[in-house]
Formats: sequence, C-alpha cells, structure tokens
Amino acid sequence: MAKELIRLSDCTMSFDGEVVLDGINLYINDEEFLTLLGPSGCGKTTTLRIIGGFLTPTSGDVLFDGVRINSVPPHKRTINTVFQKYALFPHLNVYENIAFGLRIPKTDASGHKARLPEGEIDQRVMEMLEIVNLRGFEKRRITQLSGGQQQRVAIARALVNRPRVLLLDEPLGALDLKLRKDMQNELKRIQKAMGITFIYVTHDQEEALAMSDTVVVMDGGKIQQIGTPEDIYNEPKNAFVADFIGESNILDGIMRQDGVVELFNRRFQCLDKGFEKDEAVDVVIRPEDIDIVPEDQGQLRGTVTSVTFKGMQYDIIVDFYGFKWLIQTTDLSPVGSRIGIKIDPDGIHVMRKSQYSGMFGDYSSYSEEYEEISDANYGPEGEGSGDEE
Amino acid sequence: MRKTNRAGSRLLIGLVFLFLYAPIILLIIFSFNAGDSSAVWKGFSLDWYGRLFRNRLIMESVYTTLLVSLLATVIATAAGTFAAIGLYSLGRKRREALLTVNNIPMINADIVTGVSLCLFFVAFFQGWGSFARWFNSVQSAVELPERLVLGFTTLLLAHVAFNIPYVILNVAPKLRQMDRNPMDAAQDLGCTWMGAFWKVMLPEIKPGIVSGALIAFTMSIDDFIISYFTAGSSSSTLAMAIYGMTKKRVTPEINAISTLLFLSVLVLLVLSNLKEVRQEARERLGAARKPSGLERARQRFSEPRYLWVRRGLAAALACGFIGVVGFLSYVTGSRPVVNVCSWGEYIDPALIDQFEEETGIRVNYQTAESNETLYSLLKSGGADYDVIVPSDYMIGRLIAEDMLEPLDYSQIPNYGLIEDRFKNLPFDPDNQYTVPYTWGTLGIIYNANAVEEEITSWGALYDDRHAGEVLLINNSRDAIGEALFYLGYSVNTTDPAEIRQAYELVAGANRRGVFQGRVMDEIFQKMEGGNAAIATYYAGDYLSMVDNQAEGVDLAFVVPEEGSNWFVDAMCMLKDAPHQREAHMWMNFIASTEANLANMDYIWYASPNGKALELYPEWYEEEYGEPLDMELYQIMAAPAEVLERCTMYQNLDAGTLALYNDLWTELGI
Repeated sequence: MAKELIRLSDCTMSFDGEVVLDGINLYINDEEFLTLLGPSGCGKTTTLRIIGGFLTPTSGDVLFDGVRINSVPPHKRTINTVFQKYALFPHLNVYENIAFGLRIPKTDASGHKARLPEGEIDQRVMEMLEIVNLRGFEKRRITQLSGGQQQRVAIARALVNRPRVLLLDEPLGALDLKLRKDMQNELKRIQKAMGITFIYVTHDQEEALAMSDTVVVMDGGKIQQIGTPEDIYNEPKNAFVADFIGESNILDGIMRQDGVVELFNRRFQCLDKGFEKDEAVDVVIRPEDIDIVPEDQGQLRGTVTSVTFKGMQYDIIVDFYGFKWLIQTTDLSPVGSRIGIKIDPDGIHVMRKSQYSGMFGDYSSYSEEYEEISDANYGPEGEGSGDEE
Repeated sequence: MRKTNRAGSRLLIGLVFLFLYAPIILLIIFSFNAGDSSAVWKGFSLDWYGRLFRNRLIMESVYTTLLVSLLATVIATAAGTFAAIGLYSLGRKRREALLTVNNIPMINADIVTGVSLCLFFVAFFQGWGSFARWFNSVQSAVELPERLVLGFTTLLLAHVAFNIPYVILNVAPKLRQMDRNPMDAAQDLGCTWMGAFWKVMLPEIKPGIVSGALIAFTMSIDDFIISYFTAGSSSSTLAMAIYGMTKKRVTPEINAISTLLFLSVLVLLVLSNLKEVRQEARERLGAARKPSGLERARQRFSEPRYLWVRRGLAAALACGFIGVVGFLSYVTGSRPVVNVCSWGEYIDPALIDQFEEETGIRVNYQTAESNETLYSLLKSGGADYDVIVPSDYMIGRLIAEDMLEPLDYSQIPNYGLIEDRFKNLPFDPDNQYTVPYTWGTLGIIYNANAVEEEITSWGALYDDRHAGEVLLINNSRDAIGEALFYLGYSVNTTDPAEIRQAYELVAGANRRGVFQGRVMDEIFQKMEGGNAAIATYYAGDYLSMVDNQAEGVDLAFVVPEEGSNWFVDAMCMLKDAPHQREAHMWMNFIASTEANLANMDYIWYASPNGKALELYPEWYEEEYGEPLDMELYQIMAAPAEVLERCTMYQNLDAGTLALYNDLWTELGI
C-alpha cells in the first residue's frame, strides 16, 4: 500500500550565497502524514515551498510520481497549501474563498480550457463547508471570522480542489492551546477521511509526535533524522534530536563493550551494540526513565537542588558530581535531600558523537532552559527569501 | 487668560484661512460679475460662463487637457502600478534606493523638468531627422517622416513621465501593507501569476491605484509649466490657454474658467479623500457595520456570475473612449490645417469658425504671450506655425535673421485693401513679408477727476505733484522711450549718453517717490478702480478701461505733444511653413473688410484696412442701434495729425538692447 509519491533528491537551496537547504534526500508516501519538524530557520518551510513550487531548488531534483517537476509552476501542481496565517482573500466572502480554485478554468488532457458548472462548484463548496463544520457561514466576510474559523476556511479552500497532496505550513501556530488540540484531531480526521498525503510543517514537537506517521527532524538546512514518532523519541540519532524532542539528560560516556557504557566512572548495562571498544559517545537518559531509590541503593548518588510541581509529576533537578540531571517522578523528594537513582538498561540510549555533542542536555541552567522550551515562539520564520517584513 | 489665548489662536487660524482662500473666493465672485472689470462689481451674471462655452479656443484647450490628462493617467497608472510591483520584488536596499530616486522628480522644480524634457525631445528629433533621412535614402518601401516637432505626443509623454512617480508613491504603501501570502495562495489554487494579480493583488491595492490615478489626473489637469515646454505649437492645454489670455487683458472669462478648473480639481481631491475615509471606516468597523444598499449592490455586481457583464461594460467604455478620440482625430487629422500663433484675446473667435466653414481648412489657433517668448520658441525649433503676428520691431529682427518666408501677394488680393500708410514700413521696407493686422498708439491714461489740469505732456509722469499716483509701465523700451520723447531725442537712438539721460529722468522720479509701482496688467484694475491717477498704455486697452471705470473715475487718453510710439502688428509666414497655401488663404481672409470690422469691434485695436476704418461707425450703428462715440473712435484709430508725431520702434542693436537691460535692472523698484 505504501506507494512513493514525492521524492526530493539531493536538494540544495541557497539565497544570495547563503545555503538554506543542504543536500536534502526525502521521499513521501501516498496517504502519509509527514511532518517536517525543526526550530526556526532550519529549512522546513523552504522544503515545503520547494514541494509547493514556489521555489526552485538551486540544485537537486523534485520528483512527483516519478516525474521531475523542478520548474513546474505552483498552479500546475496537484498540490495545495494551507499557508501560515491562512492567506485568505480578504475581499471575498467565505463561499467565494473556498470556490476560488474551482472557478479557475482547467486545461484538460485535450488542451481545452474548461470551467466547472456552477452547480458542481456549489455542491463541492457545500460539501467542504460540511467537512470543516462551517455550514451557514458562506456569506460571512473573512474579517468576521475567528482564528479557528479562518483556519477551517483555509483548509477547505485547499481541499476543495481534491489535491493529491496538502501542504500545511504551521497552520495552527496562531491558535490558542485548546483550539490547537481540537484542530489537531480535526486535521487527522480529515486526512484519514479524504485519504490525502499531508506534509505538515511545525516547530512544535508535541504536535509532530501526536499527528504524524513520519517525522522529519531538521536543523541547519539538513535532515537530522527521519522516523516514526516512536523511533524519533526513543532512538534519537544525535544530541540535537534528543534535546529537541522531549526532555533529555545527555551525558558524555565511553562504550566499554557491547551492552556496557561507562558514566562518571561507573559502568551501566545498556542495550546498545555496534560501537568501537572504548568509543566516546553521547548517552541519552530520559527524565522519566530514572527511578529514585534510597541513597544507599542507588547506582549514582546526588543532592536535590530544585523541585517543580508539574501536575502529573514533579520535575526535580539533582546534582550528581557537579552535573545536573532532570528527573521526572511522582514521589516528592525535598530540596537538599540526598537520593540515589537506578536506570534500567532500556532507559539508556547511546548515540555517536556529532557536531551537537556538548551543546544540550545539561540542566545546570535549568530555569532558562525550561523557559526556552516552553516559549512557544510561533511567529513567521526567518527563512524564505530573507526579505520578509 | 486661557480663554483669550484660545480666542487669539482661533483668530489666527481664521486669518490664515482668509489669507489662503481670499484670492480664490474673490476670483469666484468676480467670475459672476456683469461688467468686465476685476475690480468693480456691476451685478450678477452668468455671461462669462456662457462666453466661455462659446469660445472655441478655450473649448479646444479643454478637450486637449482632458484627453491628455485621461490618456496620461491611464498609461501612467498602468506603468506606475507595475513599476511599484517590480520594486517590491527587489531586495529592501535596492527598493529603498529606487523609491528615493522616484521621489526626486516630484520635488524637482517643474521648470527644470519641463526644460529638460523639451531639450530631450528636440535632441531626439534631431537624431531622428538624420536617421530618417538616411533610412529613406537607402530604401523606398517605408517612408519615415523626417521632421518631428513638439506636439500632442510629446505633451502626452511628458505628462506620463511626471505622473508615474505619483502613482508609484500611492501604490507602494499598499503593497507594503499587503500580505504576500494570498498571492502565493492564488497561484497554489491554480492561478497563473497574472491571474493572481488580477484576482487577488489588484483588489488589495486598488485603493492605492485609484488614489494614484486621481492624483495623476489632477496633476495633469493642473500642470502648466511642463506642458508649456513640451506642447509645442499645435496643442495647448487649458492652463496654457488661460496664461495666454492673461497677457493682453484680464477678462472675467479667465475668472470663470479658473473657477471651473479650481472646482474640478477640488472635486477630484474631495473624491479621493472621501474614498480613503470610507475605506478606513470600513476597516475599523469591519463586522459591526451593516453594508449599505449601494455596497450590497456593488458586492452583488462583483460576484463572478456578473463577470461577463462587467467585462462587457468595461469593453464598451473603452471602445467608446477610443471611438470618440479616434473620430475626433480623424475629423481633425484628415482636413487641411493652418497653424496660427497670435496673442491672447486678439481675434474675434467667430472669424475662425467662419474661415473653417468657408474653406474647410482647420485653424489651429495658438497664442504666445510676448514677442520675446515667441522669438525664443521659434529659435528653439520647437514650433511649426505657419502664420505669426509679431510686432514691428520683432518683424525687423526675424527678417534680419532670415526666419520669414516672402509672401505671394497674388494669393492675397485683399492686401490691396490695406492703406498705403501701413505698407513699406521701416521693418519691411519693400513689403515682401507682411500683411498688417492692427495698429495703435501708446499714450497717457489718466483720471481726469484726480489731476488738476488736462495732461498733454510726458512730463506729467515725472511731476512731483503726482507723487505716488503714477504707474510706470514695466517694459524698458516703453518706459525709457517715454523719457526720450520728453527729452526730444529719437526713440530709436543708439547714443548711450541720450539713453542714460532718459534713464536718469525716470530714476530721479522713482527716487522722489513719484511712481506707485511698475505694472503691466494691474494697470486695468488700478486705473478702473481709481487707485492710481496716471499710467501709460495702449489705446485699445484704454477703451476697455473706460468701459469698466468705477463710479467717480473719469478716464482720459492722450498721445502727448512730444510724440509717442505707434506700432503695427502684422501677419507673416515662417520660413518653410508646411501649409503655405492655407496660410495665404488665412491672411487674405483676415485682411478682408468684413474680418477687419469684426476684429476691430471685438479687440478694439484699429484696423489697417482703409475701408474698414471708414465703415466702422456706420457698421457699429447698424449693429448696436446707437451711434459710435467718435471721440473714442479717434483714440482707437488715431487721426493722421496724431500719427504724424508718432514714431515706430526699430530693432535696436545688441549693445543698445544690453544697455536697456542693464539700466532697467539698475532701476530696481
């Protein structure tokens, strides 16, 4: 069933000599929900715009159904886009916004320009209004709609053309949290119902994990990892992915032999294999994979330096030999208390050293780090032509 | 304290607005004046407006103005809009630099723009001339015109050029405000870039385009200086026509046309402002506001199913416009034509119609404001007149510089009707080039109620008894000439000592405060209203002042006993004039007795046609049912004994002209 639909092959994009995308290789299957995930400026919107036809890659090929479409203009691709901030037409009402694409005469195989009959347009627009729950809003002006409603119009406007692929560029960025969750479910439902390939751009890792079949993590114009949400979370390829997806303690370790990694001069059992003997590695330990035990029973011993109540669990920072760890636990350990920890072999994930080693995973400056993570910097991304206002 | 402050500032604001608008309000009021003075109110009348619409020179210039403004607006709006869009696809640095460059033409002095465009066109025409000659010589399939002149096309190009920056300036902010994403969205949904432009970008930036077009249109209608330099001889805009009219006599016709021009520009500005205000209100209120019936109708009309109706309407309008323009240019273009350049208010317009009717030749009648500007226009090569009507001394100069074509008098039988005393005059001793048009004398005009005795001498101008009451004519040749007459020297003297002595006479009186000022056209208002007692001007203009004099003013005219200047304006044909046959026909027509009678009655300058001079009193009585005031007629057409003591100006050598200039500058005021 998984049939390849789109392939980017060694795509590079540079603006004024500045490389924005660097050798992207990616394929997207039919009816897949694929998410491009990464921080601002990582190249995810550029990738989307290349697929949409708004940009032509500096080098490399874009294939659609096996046909090279590098220079096919957007209006000739059976791909539609839901834009950041919706990009609705302010001078048209809801109905006309959705009908916009249907009213454009299409050239059929024999080269004849044909216009859809009004009846069919009407039927399809009404159908879409039904799907996005906007029945009765046809005559409204765009300015009279809430953000969520505008979002639905944008989705309907794109879907009414029955594209093979729908591109979504941070479509939920401007919505509040509650609405965002609802729309996530809605989008997933629509994708399933219509059987269309969705390519979704976001910098919100939770959103990515919740919705996608496949997640593509990008940074610095390069793909860092491609995989299912579980793969990405459990088996991050490098410190960047580990840090960007969820919370991670990332430590310097030495692989003593298959299944044995040394941290703080102590040996831990793990499941990872295939490293050189005594290879220096990055070790990821997720905060929820650490068990707190009485001090004398712990593999490591440390002092609690801060505790934050998070509802479902406590986030506590523990100082082990000068290195601060984040641990998520349901048991309260007061600040200043000495504790021990135990880590199961499957809680330890060993990665090869990368350019990101040493940049992430230390909670010494905990509060700042946390703020950065919780800061939903939803805004226009600084990528693209570099000339946005 | 606060209260008085507020009252004070209100007063100040009131004064500022009064200062700003008083002249225009005055102008509007006097456009309804029954008399033809701009100083004395003689009752309400719409006469001047009526006259306006019957004046074909003005109506033609209105047509030219509207046509050039509309075409220039359409072209400049399209070009400016796309230029602005192009600018916005550039990087920020380059765009900002280009926008700054775009602003320069708007700040630049109009006169610089006008002169540079004129020079540019003339230079291009010269280059084109050589190219066309070469091209025509190497092949014979296509014949390129070798001689291009300034005209409607250059006028239009100039207007387009100065309008584009205004359009860009208005469209650019709308582009900056515009969200770029909908353009992408439209293309994403299947539009080509052009389709997206029409369907998405255009509605977004339309307010900017409309206000840009309105401003461009206003600028075009308004423009005088740039048009003046680029219109050449065959077209003149309304502003140019008005300027030409002000030169001889300020009639309330000018007030009327100025009022209309002011009002139309005002309406345009109000329209563009209203649009903006409504747009803002709509954006502010957004959802809260219920659309008005008109808006609902408009919205309905803008629905796609009326697309073809809308397109049809637009096409019909465009076709109509093109049709009217095409028809008019066909009608005007296919007929033979004669290009005449004369002075403002210097012909009975009915004569032009009559000539056109009789001969089928279209008269392209233009005006220049003085002999000197006509001369420089001819020298610049920008004009292609056939017939001009310069004054005596200028004719001498044009003949000396070989700029006139000898006439074929066998084609002008009516030349025989011209009295002999107006033939073979010093400026054209063998009468090869000229057919006299009018003649007249310079004299003293004074308010008999404001001076103690009858004035007979130029000395009255320099008399301390009239201190502050004398208007010195603002023209070096006349002002120093009067002193030369008074001193008994020849008015055409080239002796610097004599000229300097005459100048000292004038300058001395000036220092003693005898002169109220140096004036030309203001003479009319000042004398008619009794605000000055003594002035010097031409006999014909005295007659119009008498007609408008205020209560208690009793104007008299005298050609002083020391002698004075008399002048002849004559029709001549320019060298290599393109329509020589038509030019001869025109001159013959104008020399006829009937034409001379009509002209004399209309412009109040004496005719050189002996029969017309003789018949005029009779003709007048028949026409108006009352006898002609012979005393006034004697002033208009000075009798032989008066003319005997008058001298004609001759063209002075360059050195003497320079001396006149220097002295005139030295006089200051």
